[in-house]
Amino acid sequence: MDTSFNLWILLMPFVGALVGLTYMGIGRRIIARVQHRYGPPIFQNIVDVLKLYSKKTAITHGVMFHLAPTLAITGTISTLMFLPILTGPHGIYLFSFKGDLILLMYIMVFGCLAMALGAGQSGNPNSAIGVSRGLSQMVGYEAPFVIAMVTLMVQFNTTSVHDIIKAQDSFVHWNMFQSPFAFIAALFAFLGFMGNKPFDVVIAPAEIASGPPSEFGGKYLALMQTNRGMFAFVKLVLYVDLFMGGAANFVSLLAKTFFFYLIPLFVGIVNPRFRTEQAITFFWKWPTVIGLLGFLMVIL
Amino acid sequence: MSDTLQKEEQIKASINAAFRSAKVSIQRKGRIIVEFRGGILPAFASYLKEYLNFKHLSMISGVDWPEDNQFELVYHLWSYEQSIHVMVKVRLDREAAKTKTLTPLWEHAETYEREIHEMLGVEFEGHPNMRDFILEDWDDLPPMRRDFMTREYVDEVYEWRKGREDAQDVRQTIAEQYNTEVPNFNNEDK
Amino acid sequence: MKEDWGKEAGNIIARWARKHSLWVLAYGTGCGAIEIPPTMTSRYDAERFGITGMATPRQADVLLITGYLAVKTLKRVIRTYEQMQSPKYVMGFGSCTINGGMYWDSYNTIKRLDDYLPVDIFINGCMPRPEGVIDGFIELQKLIDSGQANGWKKYQDNLEWYRTNQKKVIKNWKMPDYNW
Repeated sequence: MDTSFNLWILLMPFVGALVGLTYMGIGRRIIARVQHRYGPPIFQNIVDVLKLYSKKTAITHGVMFHLAPTLAITGTISTLMFLPILTGPHGIYLFSFKGDLILLMYIMVFGCLAMALGAGQSGNPNSAIGVSRGLSQMVGYEAPFVIAMVTLMVQFNTTSVHDIIKAQDSFVHWNMFQSPFAFIAALFAFLGFMGNKPFDVVIAPAEIASGPPSEFGGKYLALMQTNRGMFAFVKLVLYVDLFMGGAANFVSLLAKTFFFYLIPLFVGIVNPRFRTEQAITFFWKWPTVIGLLGFLMVIL
Repeated sequence: MSDTLQKEEQIKASINAAFRSAKVSIQRKGRIIVEFRGGILPAFASYLKEYLNFKHLSMISGVDWPEDNQFELVYHLWSYEQSIHVMVKVRLDREAAKTKTLTPLWEHAETYEREIHEMLGVEFEGHPNMRDFILEDWDDLPPMRRDFMTREYVDEVYEWRKGREDAQDVRQTIAEQYNTEVPNFNNEDK
Repeated sequence: MKEDWGKEAGNIIARWARKHSLWVLAYGTGCGAIEIPPTMTSRYDAERFGITGMATPRQADVLLITGYLAVKTLKRVIRTYEQMQSPKYVMGFGSCTINGGMYWDSYNTIKRLDDYLPVDIFINGCMPRPEGVIDGFIELQKLIDSGQANGWKKYQDNLEWYRTNQKKVIKNWKMPDYNW
């Protein structure tokens, strides 16, 4: 327990939120360029969040409505705390020695459930539709994700993220190349996680207002946007840890996470929206089959 | 000429045979006007629909005739087979404007009848849903009656912004109201 | 003066953020709604100023009223406006919101929007083109920057006056009260 450890525990949520929001800003810019627009500034999402924090907020729907954004961000921060951000001699491990992959898989869902409860209490029909769609879709993409994680655990005979990172000591040993089937399955699940275009039926702009957060405004929405940015960062770091052997310094971390961020972004730009049942059928068909194939290969 | 209007003449003959009180006139090819009086409008409409194949009700319009102290309802019917447009004109007394609904024959007549009820004040007996349609909580004369004085009503209910009548600059009025300076819309200095 | 510097800095940051991030709820009642898609999409691209469309009043900052308001729609607009979180701004768009425009003698459209809602900026024209709309947004940004865009405060302070005007045209006032 030295000072740098404490410092990173305090700083990491802010760094995560900043990086995630900036990535989203870059994503908006890239989408704009694809659509032959100039696009907003890169830091637009951070400005949006600042503005939302400066708004007055007077909405009341019940206790759970007030708690939901806080619970969501709590879930995200606790997930972040159990992730090794940087590895190597100058690593930032936070509390990751105390948790493992199973804990991460479990705790990642916490924020979504809190959101669902809060949105359900807001009484807005759009929120209710969004929540039911979101939870159904989660059932869809959790299947290939869990299969991919189990494949990794069986392959390395451990549930510790550290040991998985240690096993990928060089470029050729990255899980990306070592167990490609698990990687592909996890990548499809990642598209669902990020909620970008083909799988954005949860938020579905212009269809059900803005889905679960329709009734959240002002500071609540600010918390939720921060949470979104931070959660994006958490997922990116988790994938980098599992499939790219972690990162030794911030430059390589940013490069690797940005690579992962671009995948759902580009998939989203060229694809229209899936309906819920199409998304679930898709997730349970190809990624799951590929994941099971990888699992079989590992067992045999 | 006579052979081109053959279908129309046929229809005119059959209407005249069935309903004595209907006054049928052929306006031009493909267009027939029936002036109909009496309260058996649904029977007449169902005759047109079932026997003469005027399956489609295009619209119902209402006309106010304060000179005759009457309302006129015009039912526009269309036959797909013969490509003929029939206008059935019904005159109603202005004081007790009441007629039977056509919703059993055409469900979509409901909307037109609701609108006519709201805009002219005609009652439709047997209409399933006579609630407000476009206007909400209207308690004045129905606004499409010709004795409804629109300008007086507007003067009474709404406020005018000065500058409308005497071609004055509206920007000046707004600026004076809020004590701001008149914005300069001359783009040369930008 | 010295002890207020924190608050002052916060105000400056808040104003700057509000200015550069305007989330618009376009209330498309009239023909003006057709001018909004070109403003937002590739041709005129309002997103480069941080102006984005928003679907719900809870999240929006700017209520853009595009065109005439009938009494029936005015009721909905008032509800929408009161659900928005302050600071909130209203833009009157087109002649109809200024003096009734081509509906100047209609029995069912309001003539002066600023009698019923606090309008921060009017864009005149019938219809204003997307350039005009973006110009209006930039003027609004200037007003926010100089602290003059405080229609929401005016609405709170003169609520009685606004309510009287609103109830004069809306005869059946059955609306929940929103606290802010």
